[in-house]
Amino acid sequence: MTKKTLEIYSVELSGTKDIQQTDKGNGKEKYRGLKNCFEPRKNHYKEELRKEVDLDDHKLSIKELEKKYDTNIITGLSSTQAAELLARNGPNALTPPKETPEIIKFLKQMVGGFSILLWIGAILCWIAYGIQYSMNTSSSLDNVYLGCVLALVVILTGIFAYYQEAKSTNIMATFNKMIPQQALVIRDSEKMTIPAEELVVGDIVEIRGGDRIPADIRLLSVQGCKVDNSSLTGESEPQPRSSEFTHDSPLETKNIGFYSTTCLEGTATGMVINTGDRTIIGQIASLASGVGNEKTPIAIEIQHFVHIVAGVAVSIGILFFIIAVSLKYQVLDSIIFLIGIIVANVPEGLLATVTVTLSLTAKRMAKKNCLVKNLEAVETLGSTSIICSDKTGTLTQNRMTVAHLWFDNQIFIADTSEDHSNQVFDQSSGTWASLSKIITLCNRAEFSPGQESVPIMKRVVVGDASETALLKFSEVILGDVMEIRKRNHKVAEIPFNSTNKFQLSIHKTDDPNDQRFLLVMKGAPERILEKCSTIMVNGQKQPLDKNTAEAFHTAYMELGGLGERVLGFCHLYLPADEFPETYTFDVDTMNFPTSNLCFVGLLSMIDPPRSTVPDAVTKCRSAGIKVIMVTGDHPITAKAIAKSVGIISANSETVEDIAKRLHIAVEQVNKRDAKAAVVTGMELKDMSPEQLDELLTNYSEIVFARTSPQQKLIIVEGCQRQNAVVAVTGDGVNDSPALKKADIGIAMGIAGSDAAKNAADMILLDDNFASIVTGVEEGRLIFDNLKKTIAYTLTKNIAELCPFLIYIIVGLPLPIGTITILFIDLGTDIIPSIALAYEKAESDIMNRKPRHKKKDRLVNQQLAIYSYLHIGLMQAVGAFVAYFTVYAQEGFKPSILINIRVEWEDSNVNDLEDSYGQQWTWYQRKYLEWMGYTAFFVGIMVQQIADLIIRKTRRNSIFQQGLFRPQYWFVAVPFAILIWVYDEVRKLFIRLYPGSWWDKNMYY
Amino acid sequence: MTKKEKKSFNQSLAEWKLFIYNPTTGEFLGRTAKSWGLILLFYLVFYGFLAALFSFTMWAMLQTLNDEVPKYRDQIPSPGLMVFPKPLTALEYSFTVSDPESYQGYIEDLRKFLKPYNLEEQKNLTACPDGALNEQKGPVYGACQFPLTLLQECSGVDDPEFGYSKGNPCVLVKMNRIIGLKPQGEPRIECTSKSENTAALSTYPPKGTIDLKYFPYYGKKLHVSYLQPLVAVQVSFNATSSTVNEVTVECKIDGSPNLKNQDDRDKFLGRVVFKVTARA
Repeated sequence: MTKKTLEIYSVELSGTKDIQQTDKGNGKEKYRGLKNCFEPRKNHYKEELRKEVDLDDHKLSIKELEKKYDTNIITGLSSTQAAELLARNGPNALTPPKETPEIIKFLKQMVGGFSILLWIGAILCWIAYGIQYSMNTSSSLDNVYLGCVLALVVILTGIFAYYQEAKSTNIMATFNKMIPQQALVIRDSEKMTIPAEELVVGDIVEIRGGDRIPADIRLLSVQGCKVDNSSLTGESEPQPRSSEFTHDSPLETKNIGFYSTTCLEGTATGMVINTGDRTIIGQIASLASGVGNEKTPIAIEIQHFVHIVAGVAVSIGILFFIIAVSLKYQVLDSIIFLIGIIVANVPEGLLATVTVTLSLTAKRMAKKNCLVKNLEAVETLGSTSIICSDKTGTLTQNRMTVAHLWFDNQIFIADTSEDHSNQVFDQSSGTWASLSKIITLCNRAEFSPGQESVPIMKRVVVGDASETALLKFSEVILGDVMEIRKRNHKVAEIPFNSTNKFQLSIHKTDDPNDQRFLLVMKGAPERILEKCSTIMVNGQKQPLDKNTAEAFHTAYMELGGLGERVLGFCHLYLPADEFPETYTFDVDTMNFPTSNLCFVGLLSMIDPPRSTVPDAVTKCRSAGIKVIMVTGDHPITAKAIAKSVGIISANSETVEDIAKRLHIAVEQVNKRDAKAAVVTGMELKDMSPEQLDELLTNYSEIVFARTSPQQKLIIVEGCQRQNAVVAVTGDGVNDSPALKKADIGIAMGIAGSDAAKNAADMILLDDNFASIVTGVEEGRLIFDNLKKTIAYTLTKNIAELCPFLIYIIVGLPLPIGTITILFIDLGTDIIPSIALAYEKAESDIMNRKPRHKKKDRLVNQQLAIYSYLHIGLMQAVGAFVAYFTVYAQEGFKPSILINIRVEWEDSNVNDLEDSYGQQWTWYQRKYLEWMGYTAFFVGIMVQQIADLIIRKTRRNSIFQQGLFRPQYWFVAVPFAILIWVYDEVRKLFIRLYPGSWWDKNMYY
Repeated sequence: MTKKEKKSFNQSLAEWKLFIYNPTTGEFLGRTAKSWGLILLFYLVFYGFLAALFSFTMWAMLQTLNDEVPKYRDQIPSPGLMVFPKPLTALEYSFTVSDPESYQGYIEDLRKFLKPYNLEEQKNLTACPDGALNEQKGPVYGACQFPLTLLQECSGVDDPEFGYSKGNPCVLVKMNRIIGLKPQGEPRIECTSKSENTAALSTYPPKGTIDLKYFPYYGKKLHVSYLQPLVAVQVSFNATSSTVNEVTVECKIDGSPNLKNQDDRDKFLGRVVFKVTARA
C-alpha cells in the first residue's frame, strides 16, 4: 500500500498533473481514464476536472504517513530537509492566473469581430488608390483618406473599448487585498512562525480557531476543531474535524483540512500533505485556465452580422464588376468600382456605435451593482435562459437567523427579514420568559465592543453562527443582553462540544428574593429531552408524559423538515438548600444535576433567503428563465430555501413528495407528474450525460444539493447541451471552472474569491441575486435597442451605395462622394444611433421568453431586407429626386445627364454644353457636382430623421411609445426670429454708417 | 462533444438539394409556390408604387422648369474660355509641318466648326451695329452676323490649311456661352506667349476684340441661329530653322470689369493656356 502511494505521489510531484494515471477508483473511473486516452488533449482538462479528487493520505496511519513524507510528528522536518523540499517543489502558493498581457488585450480590441470588416475596408481602399495611382499619378486622394478614416475609427474604438474594460478591471483590483499569511510550524523540534509560503510537504503545523489553513493537511490531533469548507464544497455549516478516517472520499473524511479553508474554532495539529498548486483548491484553480472561454452570444451575433454585410457587399460588388466589364469599362476601373462598392457597404459608424452603446449599458448596470468586466457580457445576461445560482450568500443572507420557536405546544414564526424588526409572536407566556432567559444566558457569543450605533443585525459578533443568531435575536427582543448577563452572574459553564452535544451554564439570578442558582442548558433537542423529566407549559411545570413527548417530536420533525437547525432549551432552579450561595461548582466533576431538568422549548434557525429574492425569482420565471439552485448544502435545507424563494413553486412536487403523499414507493411514481426535482451530488455522480439531459429537460424546477464544485461544471455543460445560455453565480475558487465555462460567469463582489472574480464576466457588487434580474432586463433592452440601431444604420447604406451603382451604369455625374458619405456615417448619424440605445422598452421585456440562440438573431433576414430593400431604396429614390432637381434647375436636365460621365469628368473639356446651350468649365461643373453631393446628403439626412423616428419602435405605434411633443419645437421660435431680425438690423446699421460707433463695436 | 462536427460533402449536397427543392413541403428555394407568388406580388406592387412615385415627383419637378432659361444661373456668373480645335490629350497642339496627316484632324475640325460662319449661312442673320449690346424683347430673337472675314488669316478662306502647313497654326479662342451675360466695357482676348521671343502671336479680329453686339445670349431654344463670337490666334515661330518649335500661349479676357480672368481654382475662368509644338 505504502509503496503504491509513493508511486502515485512521485507522479504528481514530477510536475505533470495527470491525475489520470493515479486513477485507481472504481471501474467506471477507469473506463473514463481509458476513454481519455483516445480523446484529444483539449478535452483532457475537463475530464480531469470532472473527476473526484484523488487523495489517499486520509486512509494512512500516522506511522505510514511519517514514512511516506520522511518526517516525524514530534520533531517535524529538519530545516535542511525543508529547504531542499522547498527548492524542489516551489513555494506553497497558488500560481496566479495567467494575466493576458495588456498589449494582447489591446490588440484583441483592435481586430475582434467587427473591426476586421473595417480593416479589410481600409486595406481595400489603399489598394484601390495604388491601382489608381499606377494609372494616373494625379488621381484623387479620396481613397487614401477613406482608408485612413476607417483605420482611425477602428483604432479609436479599440482604445475606447480597452479603456472601458481596463476601468472595470481596476475596480476589481481594489478587491484584491491579500494579507501575507503566517503558519505555526514545528521544525527541528522547535515551534516557529514562518510565512505560509515556505511550508513544504511533511511539515507539522498547528492551527487555531480563526486561522486559515495554510496547506492541505492531514490532521493528527484535534481539539474541538471546526472548519468552514464553504469555499471548497459549498457547505455553509461548520464541519467538525477529527483525526479519524471517516470516509473514503477525501472531501468527506474528517481528518483532512484543506488549503484556504478557515478553522472556525478549536485547535489542531496536522501534517502538510500537499502544497501550492498541488493542493485540492490549487488543482481546481489551475485547471480553470484549461476551460476555454466560450464566445459570447453578442460576439456570435456580430460575426453573423459581419457575414451578412460581407455577403451583400461582395455579391453586389461582383455583380457590378461583371456589369462594368460588359459595359466596356477598363478592367482596372472595374476593379476600383468593385472595391468601391465593397467599401461603401461597410457601415463605418456602427463599430463605434455598438461599443458606445454597450458601454453605456455597462455603466447603467454598474449603477445597479452589476460590474461588467467584458463589454460583450452586457448582452449575454439578457439572453440568459438558465441561471445556476449558489444558495449561500446569493439567495440567502448568509447568516443564521432564528426562524421558528416552539413552546407551549405551539410553533411560532419569527421574523427573518434583514432587520428583524417585526417580531409578532406571543411574548406574554411565562414559558417565553424562561426561554428568553435561557437564550440570553446560555450563550457565549458577544458583540465586539464599540458598535452601539450600528444596527443590531449588522453588528460584528464573536462566536459561532448559531450563537450569533441567538444573541441577535435576544438583543432585538429583550434589549441589552450584556447587561442582563451581568445581572445574572455566571458561576460555571460547560461549552458545547461534539460528544456532549449540549452547552450548560449556571447563573446567580437577578431576582434579589430568589437565592437559587439557575442552571440553563441548550443543545441537540433529543439530547436535551433525555435529560428532562418535566416540561413547562404556559409558565407552569408539568410532568413530561407521552403526549407531550409526542408533541415535541412532531414539532422537532416539522422544523427539521423545513431544513432548519433545531436547538432544545431547558433549565433548572437548583434548590437553595443543596446549593447555597457559597457553593463552588466544578465542571469537571459535575457536582450538580444534569438530569430531571425542565424542558422549556425549541428554537430553530436557518440562513434565511434575502427578502428581494422571491420577487426576483418570480421575475425570472415570467421572463422565461429557469433558475437552478446548485449548493453544497443538505438537500432538505436546499429544498426548504428553494421553496421559500420560489425556485420550487408552492404547488409543485418532487417525486419524493408525491410518493409521500400517495404513500407509495418512489419508484412507482410517474416521473412526469413531478415538476420539481432535488438531486444530490451522489445521484448526479452516477448519472450519464443523457440522464442529466433528460433531467434538465423534464423538470422545470431543479435543485442540486450536496454537489461538489466539479459537478457544477457538469451541470453547466448539461445546460449548454440544451442550447441554453447559462449564467452561473459563484464565489469560491472551486467555482472558477464553472464560471469560465458558463456563457456568463457571475462572481460575488463581497464574498467572492479572486479566482472566481478573474474567471467571471460580471461581478455582483452586492452579492444579491435580485441584481442579476435587473441585469437581465438591461441586457434584453440593449439587444432590442442594438437591433434598432443597426436597422437605422444599415438603411442609409443603400442610399449611399445606389448613387455609385447608377454612376457606373447610367454614367451620371457622381451623386455623392466618399467624403460626404463619411460625413453621414461618422458625423450626422452617430449621435442618433447612439440615442437609440436609450430607447425605453416597447413592452414588458421581462414577460417574454429569452431569445433563442439560433433563431432570434440580432440581424436577421427580415431586418436586412427591410432596411436595404424597402426603406433604403425609398431613401435612395428620394435623394435622387433631390439630386436631379439641383441639376435640372441649374441647367442640366435629367435626359442630358445620361452617359455624360466621361466628358463631365474630363478636366480638359471646359465648354460642356447644358440643356440650355450654356457652356461650363470643368471647375464650374465640379462645383455643381458638389452641390449635387449636398443635395443628396441633405436628401438622405432628411429621410434619416424619419428613419430614426420609425426605428424607435418595432411593433408599437410611435404615438404609443411617445415622442417629443411637436409643439415644443415652436416654443423658442420667436427668439429664433428675434436673433435673425436683430442681426439683420446690426448689419443694416453697419452698412449705413460705416466707421461709426456702431460699426466699430458690432462688426466682427 | 459540443463542437460541431464537420458535415460531410454528401450531407451538405443533400441539404442544398433539399433547399433548392423540398418535395415534402413543396418548397422551392425555401419558399412554397404560394409564398413566392405573394412575395413577388408584394415587390411588384411595392416597387411599382415606388417607381410611380419617383416618376411623378420627377415630372412635377420638371414642370417647374422653364424651357427657355434655367431656373438658376448662379453657378456660372462668369464665362470660361476655351480653345478650338480640342487636342486629344490636354491642351497641347502638336504636329509636324511636313506631315499633313498629323494636322489633318485639326483642319477638319476647324472647317466643320466654321461652317455655320460661312457667308451663305449668315444670310438670314441681322447685321447688328457694333459696340452695343443687342438686347431684345422677343418673342423672336435674332442673331447677329459674324463675318468670317474678321478672322482674316485664320478664316480658312485664303488658307484652307489654317496655317498648319506653313508652321503658323491658327487656334480659335471662344468664350463660353452664358444666358443673359452682358459684358461691360470693351471685352477682348489678349494672348501672350509665355516663352518670349520664340514666337509671335497675331490675333484676329485685330486686338482680339469681342464685340458687345453678340450679347446677351438668349439660350438654345430662343436664340436658334446664334453665332458665338470668335477670336483666332495665329502662332508664328521666329526661328523657322530649328526642328522643334514650342510655345505656351495664355489667352485672357481683358477690358471688361465683370468678366473674371483670374481664379485660383478654376484655371479656365476667363483664361486659357495651351501649348503648340510644331516640328519641321
